[in-house]
Amino acid sequence: MLNRNIIERVVDKALSNGADFAELFVENTFNSTIAFNDSKTKQNIVGNDYGAGVRVFYGHTAIYAFTNDLSEEALLTAADAVSKAAKSKNVIASIDLTEKEITNIHPIDIPNNTISKKDKIDFIKKVDEASRGYSDQISQVDIRFMEKNQHVMIANSEGLLVEDDRNYSRVYVSSIASNGTEKQVGGEGPGRFAGYEFFKSIDPVKLGKDTAKVAVTMLNADYVPSGKYPVIIDNGFGGVIFHEACGHSLETTAIAKGASVFVGKMGEKIAYEGLTAIDDGTIPNEWGSENIDDEGMATKKTILIENGILKSYMVDKMGSIKTGYARTGSGRRQSYRFAPASRMRNTYIANGNDKFNDMIASINEGIYAAKMGGGSVSPGTGDFNFAVAEGYMIRNGKIAEPVRGATLIGNGAEALLKISMISNNMAMAQGMCGSVSGSIPTNVGQPAIKIDEIIVGGRN
Amino acid sequence: MYKKEFQTIFAYAKDKTDETEILLSAANSFSVKINEQNVESFNYADSKGIGVRIVKDGKVGYSYTEKFDDETFKLIVDEAIENAKYTEDDEVVIMENYPEITDNPNVYSESLDKVDVLDKIQLAQDLEKYAKEADKRVFNVPYAVYADGKSYSRIANSKGLDKEDTQNFAYAYVGALSAEKDDKRMGIEFHITRNFGEFDPKKMAEESVKKSTDLLNGKPAETGKYAVVFNNEMMATMLATFSGIFNAKSVQEGRSLLKGKIRQQIANEKVTIIDDGLHPNGFSTSAFDNEGYPTERTVLIENGVLRSFLHNTITARKDGVKSTGNGSRGYKGTLGISTSNFLIEAGEYKEADLFLKHNKTIEIVSLQGMHSGANAISGDFSLGAQGFLWEHGKRKHSLKPFTVSGNFLQMLNGVEAIADNFKFDMSSNGASSILINELNISG
Repeated sequence: MLNRNIIERVVDKALSNGADFAELFVENTFNSTIAFNDSKTKQNIVGNDYGAGVRVFYGHTAIYAFTNDLSEEALLTAADAVSKAAKSKNVIASIDLTEKEITNIHPIDIPNNTISKKDKIDFIKKVDEASRGYSDQISQVDIRFMEKNQHVMIANSEGLLVEDDRNYSRVYVSSIASNGTEKQVGGEGPGRFAGYEFFKSIDPVKLGKDTAKVAVTMLNADYVPSGKYPVIIDNGFGGVIFHEACGHSLETTAIAKGASVFVGKMGEKIAYEGLTAIDDGTIPNEWGSENIDDEGMATKKTILIENGILKSYMVDKMGSIKTGYARTGSGRRQSYRFAPASRMRNTYIANGNDKFNDMIASINEGIYAAKMGGGSVSPGTGDFNFAVAEGYMIRNGKIAEPVRGATLIGNGAEALLKISMISNNMAMAQGMCGSVSGSIPTNVGQPAIKIDEIIVGGRN
Repeated sequence: MYKKEFQTIFAYAKDKTDETEILLSAANSFSVKINEQNVESFNYADSKGIGVRIVKDGKVGYSYTEKFDDETFKLIVDEAIENAKYTEDDEVVIMENYPEITDNPNVYSESLDKVDVLDKIQLAQDLEKYAKEADKRVFNVPYAVYADGKSYSRIANSKGLDKEDTQNFAYAYVGALSAEKDDKRMGIEFHITRNFGEFDPKKMAEESVKKSTDLLNGKPAETGKYAVVFNNEMMATMLATFSGIFNAKSVQEGRSLLKGKIRQQIANEKVTIIDDGLHPNGFSTSAFDNEGYPTERTVLIENGVLRSFLHNTITARKDGVKSTGNGSRGYKGTLGISTSNFLIEAGEYKEADLFLKHNKTIEIVSLQGMHSGANAISGDFSLGAQGFLWEHGKRKHSLKPFTVSGNFLQMLNGVEAIADNFKFDMSSNGASSILINELNISG
């Protein structure tokens, strides 16, 4: 993307006032989004994100500057700004870059932005028709069709020079059901680290119907009664609770600050003994996968918790310097506008041995959360709050009537210990995870799990 | 600024499009984070981008770039034209040369641009230091941050409109974690200003610590219906969460619960909700919106009666009204509608008096899960909350995290009293503490 001599001069400049480490990240990204509602293609935008970030470390301090101007002069100006803020006595002599070839473990059949807009719009219309055809109560369908091709180049003072090309494809569907006075939403957003072949692999009719079904079911449901209940959280997006309430607390960003309940717990039992949790960037073409992280390190499969015992944090370069743990290829960022930080990839709870039906049968009165919505967690304390997007009562060991408006609240560390059964139907779902280094694609996932007691906020 | 870039794009688009609009944003920003009195991170940004919106044969297309060269500028015009071919929108875009406001709001402070970087670092260090000193139960200060930014924007269209705006701001926040036995609570305090001298790190730090220590050792809330006071910050959060119900595009597309309710009483008569693009104390103040349309003070709910929605020129034309100057987009985005300085008008009560009306009142000082537990379409919410139980006007004790649930419109109907402690939050949503007659609490 840039001439090697220019890259070397920029990194040398960043080191020129003394530093422990310097890095240049360059990005050229093409984005395309089609926004569709009212059964029409409403908005259609393409664009080019283009810029570079220069980062310098001294001690535990990270300095970062970015610019959209990739001329040598502008890059040297940015490098000069970061070097002047660095106060290290460490002097690194001029660097010599060695280009590293990456192994592409996520092959692409049809690169993004090579298919005509008409094909994409035909796909979208099938989703729309299927959703509206499901029920007269469907009053609106919103669809966003997104493609992104990100080309990155990373060079650093350790001599690394590496480039990679990343294709992302995703469609987000939100069906709204209305009975005149009230409205409920059903949404799904499947995506892959892949090209257009992904869209060919999914059935638009099923996607439309599935979202419509949730919206209609919830519209015709009663409010959930408030109280403490045992809860079965099903697979797929159910994994969002682990992601938010535990995953973020296992990132070295939180660990190094002491702002995590898992500080100092390495090797200790922190969860139900049947629980194994993994963060894996190597799964071919999964939404949160990569070849290399945004610090240029090959991605890895990292076992976070094994049989209830804490085995690893998610570690980026600065996190490694601060905590002493080895890097796990977890340095990620949204774009050149962000310095990288330790982040999740495809994070999931591994399959257990319990049968789903046995789990439901074990509950006299409780909640079955078939689909979770989003949620949030208080940093530092681990208190969480999640909406149930599709919920049912469990009565006498059977799934009973649908209920709406349920919110699960609890504490991450406590909930991990209250898990008592884990099924074998692991599935993942796609999300965008927002944190210090921006919004990045991540998968959440789990098999169905049973939590013995959780507060359910409802209406009555 | 960027005159040459605008000329290049307009010249290229002239014979190819029916109408062309160019939106440019350029920004410089700085932030510093402190940990254990050391600089943990130090960020500089210098960024710019340019977006075009074109009309061709009655259809609209968009594209943008962050790469500034003549070849790319031509490419984005071509791409926008290509995109327009596939748009099926029946919305009519007519660009105009909208008038200028005579009294431009003051949104730029020259002195703020001249603050020495060492003073900025010192401020963030002081936030951390004072928070640690404020109470021995403080065991961590994970956030001690100072940040500032300066932004320039220019919008022009082929009908002769050409407006530019330069703004700046600075903000700081501090988050303190305190613990007693096994209980940990976080308190966050922020301040945003254009006057660097206004920052009082000691006061901010002490306030953040008090917010966390007050919540320690909470008792479980008893599940039931209670009178509830949202403090000013949380009322602003609630307002912001449901601001989309006033969006005229949502109304026209049938996804707002306010559809068809203009001139109807939809809230208690104590409630007046306003969007004020020219508010002197807001940080979303600007003389024009992202279509170049002049901004204004728009009364949305007046004494409980719905008076207006928030419009851009497209939704306004559909409804046969004037735009309210809420057209919103960044150079990377497509035209939508957003609030500017969005507020519920202050009342006359002292905050403490809100707790005298009922035997028991729950005070909410922290909310969680706004993007998941609140359904902006139905108005239903079920949110994680933290706060206190009050009895007969006295704060009895703090509560363990609980949920509060209800419906936003029912809540606006249930407003019993509004305090006089009006405050804007970081995102220019403003409110005072408000007493609601009844909401569901589960602990």
